[in-house]
Amino acid sequence: MVKVTYVAFDGTETTVEGEPGASVMQTALDNNVEGIVGECGGSMMCATCHCHVDDAWVEKAGPRNDGEDDMLECAASDVTPTSRLSCQIKLSEDLDGLRVLLPEEQV
Amino acid sequence: MPLAPIDKDVRLDQLTLDPYPIYRRMRAETPVVRVESANRTFLTKAADTKRVKDDPELFSSDDPHTPMQRAFNAHTLMRKDGDEHRRERMAMQKAYTPKIIKSNWAQVYRDITATYLDRLTKGETVDLYKEICGPVSARILIHVLGLEGATDEQMMRWSQNLIDGAGNFGWDPEPFEVTDRANAEMDAHIASCAERHRAEPNDSALSLMVNAADPIPWSQIVANIKIAIGGGINEPRDAMATIAYGLLTNPDQLEEVRRQEAWGAAFEEGVRWVAPIQASSRLVMEDTEIGGFDIPKGDVVMTIQASANRDEDLFEDGENFQVFRPKNLHQAFGSGPHHCAGANIARRTVGEIMMPALFERFPNMKLPDPAAVMWRGFGFRGPINLPVKLN
Repeated sequence: MVKVTYVAFDGTETTVEGEPGASVMQTALDNNVEGIVGECGGSMMCATCHCHVDDAWVEKAGPRNDGEDDMLECAASDVTPTSRLSCQIKLSEDLDGLRVLLPEEQV
Repeated sequence: MPLAPIDKDVRLDQLTLDPYPIYRRMRAETPVVRVESANRTFLTKAADTKRVKDDPELFSSDDPHTPMQRAFNAHTLMRKDGDEHRRERMAMQKAYTPKIIKSNWAQVYRDITATYLDRLTKGETVDLYKEICGPVSARILIHVLGLEGATDEQMMRWSQNLIDGAGNFGWDPEPFEVTDRANAEMDAHIASCAERHRAEPNDSALSLMVNAADPIPWSQIVANIKIAIGGGINEPRDAMATIAYGLLTNPDQLEEVRRQEAWGAAFEEGVRWVAPIQASSRLVMEDTEIGGFDIPKGDVVMTIQASANRDEDLFEDGENFQVFRPKNLHQAFGSGPHHCAGANIARRTVGEIMMPALFERFPNMKLPDPAAVMWRGFGFRGPINLPVKLN
């Protein structure tokens, strides 16, 4: 299992465990973590699973996927260089301890 | 595994009048069921509808046997999959983003709503559906799409013509004659607007598409705009009427929504309770199984999001309008690659602008006879009248 910490916009931290291969978005939904909607189910069509990857984890989380830039433009909150769609980050042992910061709003 | 059971009794006119008791029974007794009158396999549980929509390779939107292509004179993105669908959709998606709406359009939408509310007088009894829900939705859509010059009546007629044509599963010639005439009018208007947008670009969908560095073909620009006309009026119209009905028949909730300014939650609950788009079809590409039944290749499944939105597995007291639910994981905007492209616009315009403006203008508005409100629709659903006393 891979540990992921979600930092809500108000600073509240929630740490959960996800299966390798599962997305950061799905792991949040499976564990009732607030602040990620993931309305399109991971098809990269809605930008409601926007997150900012903690600076220390940006490299390990990898670059944005094809099409992710365009969809991030549709996010409700400000997009930064560390912004990702959490449906596009798949958990692996390398990401054990990953921290992502959630934006003020997703819709 | 066996094939899903067959329901020979349920008729489309029953589903049009009131599908909800039927769906509740199906969820309990036959959650996967072949409905003979619709010639489709109905999926009524939330987990199944979501699974189907999230798996476009197994459950394709590209069904050549629907009347949509004939009605639109085009193979639209609604019925495409994969990269082609994404490219066409992303060509206009920027026009529908929260940022564009907030920075460029929110004030325009507020002004439009105010102008239409100005036409109404306190003390009168009016049909809100006819006077506000439809026309305001049409007028806002004209700006979103960049179709200035069209009238509200034209937009509403075009939209209804396209819907009637796309739903003409009996393949009667007459609805297609109507769509042919509407298509000719729309083609001419879209072309003239495109000329203007080339000279004076803005952030409307048509302008973004014609001025893109690498534009999609003109035929698909036109088809995209028509899809947005077909889908961009009745949904906000029906959502608005449904939410107003829900709040007016639950005054305690209305008061609490006002107090907390929970218009966003009221919006989500309205579209959960009676989803403006109730059902969608997908073509099964390979033999598979759903809910313990064999689903053969070539079958057409219908995801009934109307039913998923009231699924007892997800919602307590799902049959009733209850704004202050702990969680509201509805599928009113669908899921997967065809997740509603207009979801942001609907949330911002109906939820954040139109509903609060309406109740601010007429704080003591009443619905004297809720039983007089008629609800209709199997594929698309909402009230078709909303007689309120303004005050």
